[in-house]
Amino acid sequence: MANDSPPDPAATFRELVTTWERNVNSLANQVMGTESFSRLMQEAQRMQLALQQATSEAMGRRLAAMNMPTREDIIRLAEKLSDVDRRLMRIEASLDGKGNGVPASDVAPASARPRTRQPPADYLNKEKPR
Amino acid sequence: MTNTETARDDIGSRVRGMVDRAIQRGVKGFQYATSGPAKVGLTPKTTLYGRGTLQLYHYKPLAEELYRVPVLMVMATTNKAFVFDLLPGQSMVEFLLKRGFDVFVIDWNAPAPEERGLTLEDYTQDFIPTCIRKVQQETGEHDVSVIGYCMGGVLSLIYASTHADGPLKNLVCLTTPVDWSKMGLTTVWNDRRYFDVDQVADTLGIVPADFIRQMFEMQKPAQRLAGQLRVSEQMWNDEFVRSYRAFERWGDETLPLAGEYMRQTTKELSWGNKLFTGELVVGGRSAKLSNITVPILSVVAEHDHLAPRESTKPLLDLVGSNDKEEILLKGGHVSLIAGPNAIGRMWPRLERWLAVRST
Repeated sequence: MANDSPPDPAATFRELVTTWERNVNSLANQVMGTESFSRLMQEAQRMQLALQQATSEAMGRRLAAMNMPTREDIIRLAEKLSDVDRRLMRIEASLDGKGNGVPASDVAPASARPRTRQPPADYLNKEKPR
Repeated sequence: MTNTETARDDIGSRVRGMVDRAIQRGVKGFQYATSGPAKVGLTPKTTLYGRGTLQLYHYKPLAEELYRVPVLMVMATTNKAFVFDLLPGQSMVEFLLKRGFDVFVIDWNAPAPEERGLTLEDYTQDFIPTCIRKVQQETGEHDVSVIGYCMGGVLSLIYASTHADGPLKNLVCLTTPVDWSKMGLTTVWNDRRYFDVDQVADTLGIVPADFIRQMFEMQKPAQRLAGQLRVSEQMWNDEFVRSYRAFERWGDETLPLAGEYMRQTTKELSWGNKLFTGELVVGGRSAKLSNITVPILSVVAEHDHLAPRESTKPLLDLVGSNDKEEILLKGGHVSLIAGPNAIGRMWPRLERWLAVRST
């Protein structure tokens, strides 16, 4: 029997979207994959960052004139605190037992569930470690 | 019943179905527009350790008897790790837990301004070794298997090659690029003649999430709109919408990057291609991939636009392991780990590979 049912508009819509997406992505990748696009994109970014840098410096001068800390000062302070934190971690780690992990004899007792599970027999046939 | 009557009934039921779906689209579309973000990462877990950008989760085991060797998953630094635990039934973590693995995950918070100086050394010589130590303490086991995704895979490779005598039992790299000269658009855009990474790192300190997200989205510029069109048509389909929203949230929650880390990865990995050439030195240690001798599995996607096939292909030739395998699957960079192909193909293959090496 011939299939005389009408086409499903939803399926047609989905196909159209997929085709459109594939074509747009492909075209865009061709354009954006060129050296000239890369140069233009990075040039625009360079200008934006230069503007941001200039604004930041101007703001820094104003804050300094008002005898107030800049964002940079606050970050530097936070960095010092992080450094102290890192030192503490290092001390903690060396107390734990440092190196490439904890030696086998020094590890804590195993957690409650038994670690005795074995893979199903058919896994061993399919996945033989070499 | 005649053929004509059957066809008429068929058309009638199809029209009824279309009308029904149109009504549901309206009702559910309103719910969609007014509801909050998708609920993701629901598998029960505890935060075992946290420091700045670093978070280490331990998931509650779901099997009575576990494999001896615990699994530590390392997320890419640009995204949240809930892609490993997207939704119940669509969660790699949940799958592994049910199959008897003890699962730990390294996730990243957005780095704070004072963490702008983080480097590959921090990630591979401090964060990962610290987390491995925590996993050892928590489980009482010396051996640990590591699964790294994308840049998490790169970090895992650097860790493994610089800690060749360490406790690593097995290494799994998911969509992990090693030849950075074959990274498609990323390679073109990172052209050292035009891309001033020093200016980016020095000016921004922390490279904003929008900057990173744009880099990803520009590689498939029609994807977002196409996704929205698809979900508007599929609004009646709760499963589809739920999954779409979870993925959408994951994409939206792209993380910022520490400027120093971006500078180093651009110069050492992208421009120098040193992971591929074997010249990479991290924390004074050689990160030559031939140092890696543990069993290694590389899982790659055929249509991966972020880590193209050419960039992932050389991995197994470069490592020193005898026990090595590559699995090439259909799908893209994200669908490989959390899409329908992941559920049906990748997770079972990964589980089998790990299971026989985790006793």
